[in-house]
Amino acid sequence: MDSMVRNPDVKQRDAAQAVVVAVSSDAIFDPEVEQVHGATEPLRKGDAFSFMKAIQVVNERLLTMNSDETLLFDVILLSNDSEEKHSRIIASAKHYGLDIGRFCFCNKEDSIESLQSNKVKLFLSTDTKDVCKALQKGVPAALLFRQTDPHHQTEDQLKVVFSGDVIGSSEEMLHGLREQGFTETQLQGFKTAKGSVKEFAVLMGEMRRRFGLEGSPLCTGLMTVWSSRDVCASALKTLRGWGLLVDEAFCMAGAPRSPILNLVQPHILCLDGLYHMEGFTAMS
Amino acid sequence: MSEIKPTDTAATNAGEENDWAASKYFSDSLKTKKPKPPKPQNAVTIAVSSRTLFNMVEERKIYEEEGVEKYMAHMNQQKHENEPLMPGVAFPLVKALMTVNSRLRQLYPDSEELFDIVLMTNNHAQVGVRLINSINHYDLTIERFCMTGGQSPIGYLKAYMTNLYLSKDGEKVTEAIKEGIAAATMFTSGDVENQLSDTQLKVAFDGDAVLFSDESEIIVKQCGLDMFFEHEQEFENIPLKQGPLKCFLEALGKLQRKFYAKNERMTCPIRTYLVTARSAASSGARVLKTLRSWGLEIDEALFLAGAPKGPLLQKIRPHIFFDDQMFHIEGAKELGTIAAHVPYGIGQKYHKGELIEQTVKDVKDKK
Repeated sequence: MDSMVRNPDVKQRDAAQAVVVAVSSDAIFDPEVEQVHGATEPLRKGDAFSFMKAIQVVNERLLTMNSDETLLFDVILLSNDSEEKHSRIIASAKHYGLDIGRFCFCNKEDSIESLQSNKVKLFLSTDTKDVCKALQKGVPAALLFRQTDPHHQTEDQLKVVFSGDVIGSSEEMLHGLREQGFTETQLQGFKTAKGSVKEFAVLMGEMRRRFGLEGSPLCTGLMTVWSSRDVCASALKTLRGWGLLVDEAFCMAGAPRSPILNLVQPHILCLDGLYHMEGFTAMS
Repeated sequence: MSEIKPTDTAATNAGEENDWAASKYFSDSLKTKKPKPPKPQNAVTIAVSSRTLFNMVEERKIYEEEGVEKYMAHMNQQKHENEPLMPGVAFPLVKALMTVNSRLRQLYPDSEELFDIVLMTNNHAQVGVRLINSINHYDLTIERFCMTGGQSPIGYLKAYMTNLYLSKDGEKVTEAIKEGIAAATMFTSGDVENQLSDTQLKVAFDGDAVLFSDESEIIVKQCGLDMFFEHEQEFENIPLKQGPLKCFLEALGKLQRKFYAKNERMTCPIRTYLVTARSAASSGARVLKTLRSWGLEIDEALFLAGAPKGPLLQKIRPHIFFDDQMFHIEGAKELGTIAAHVPYGIGQKYHKGELIEQTVKDVKDKK
């Protein structure tokens, strides 16, 4: 059971045509440790703030080019917070002028069902564990990368990075992962990542093509962390076949990904769903 | 520039080890005989741009004359994508590095102290397929690459812990040197590949403003040769400060010692040369003493006392020759040597011994 509240300050998108993404409220607003009963001032900005701003830039550019554009980002804020916090969340969104179409308030256990019933293309969270858990339960999800480097933060360009390990993978690789000791639950995460990426990539490809090679408010990339260069080439060709020509590509061959990610500063980072990368988030 | 590779204890953590383990598994499980790439902190990382690795003159022309969209369309055409690109000016160097790696792997099968070649290009990722196809065609061991889609590669060079960056773009190279990364601009020379050794990597360095700082070079330019000789003799026992390529020589020396440790000094597949305009009698001692104070060896030190470097380099046939002065680079190129310019120090303000600003002023005065 969830309660969906439309945001009166934001023009509602056509959900069938839009890129519907759900963002956890803990990512947009800093989850406060101390909940002051009855407090009314706006919540503090969370780690996903630059992402929200970047989404806005993309939507604005698309609408400037075509005021009837329907291929826009449509953000649903997903909140498991107690009822007394609901109005504060809505008011804070209004205060910051965030482009949030709808607020979805539900229990933690009902989150997955809410995501599915609202045809959410991607669930976004700043918590790697949550992302992997969602993937393992069959929900398309990706990481909102914590942009902590003030020198490299981007608010005027949305950066989306896809996983070459997932897109370029073969059946043989999946079998190999099983042999290496990954559990069926973890492998389910990988399979969900692989199965759900096409739809999102196709939409990103279409959106990216609205802009030229240079000066685009949307920047797409491919990162291959542990697979070979041939897997990377295969991923590039696959994405191309889906209509997405990525701007940047990185092939790490096992080298640490964090230094590169800290430079790229993606907003949306597609994971392979396998690990609980505690060390990873600690690095940001 | 004082360390070959910075050691960062924060770098070892669960996430990285996971990535590393998965990658190792992946290359182990492949039935190919491809060796596993080393961890960046253990390797000597050499980043090459796409235009130094491959000859992309035709493609560059399209980019410059018709713009980036036409260039991309050209590169993406199916018929071109599968055409291997022709080898570029850094190609012989890359092959030589691979030869050294196979010798190292024979002697030290478990060691990660190897060369790691990274393709660092600010080409758009779509060119990636053609580049990977070409790398496959020549069977090059380049597993890591970075296609920045137009962004500056400088930050990425640091992120990949690069020991040496080679590019055709002088601006990027200058920026890299300013950031403390050894770098040089490569120029196309004649077809020398069949004349180069395929069993021994040969690297030649100029001394001042390449291995050493430009402190003495400044004295020559500002006070003349006599002052220079006097100064160098007086300061013979004071080591020169290090230059942008000192750490790279150090990295080469470290690998050389691995061969010496296994009694392979005579057949060591790395040989280093110092090719300097200094003369042995008057200013050479300081150079040799400086190298000794750094604990570095150089296989052959050649003091030319001002004679042109071209003919000597032609005999040596290095896979790469580093110099800070374009005058020497041009002289080397003319006789077929693969030369790389290090845009560092006072030498950049001069051309053929004349201060560049001054010659402009003279022209104006004559009008």
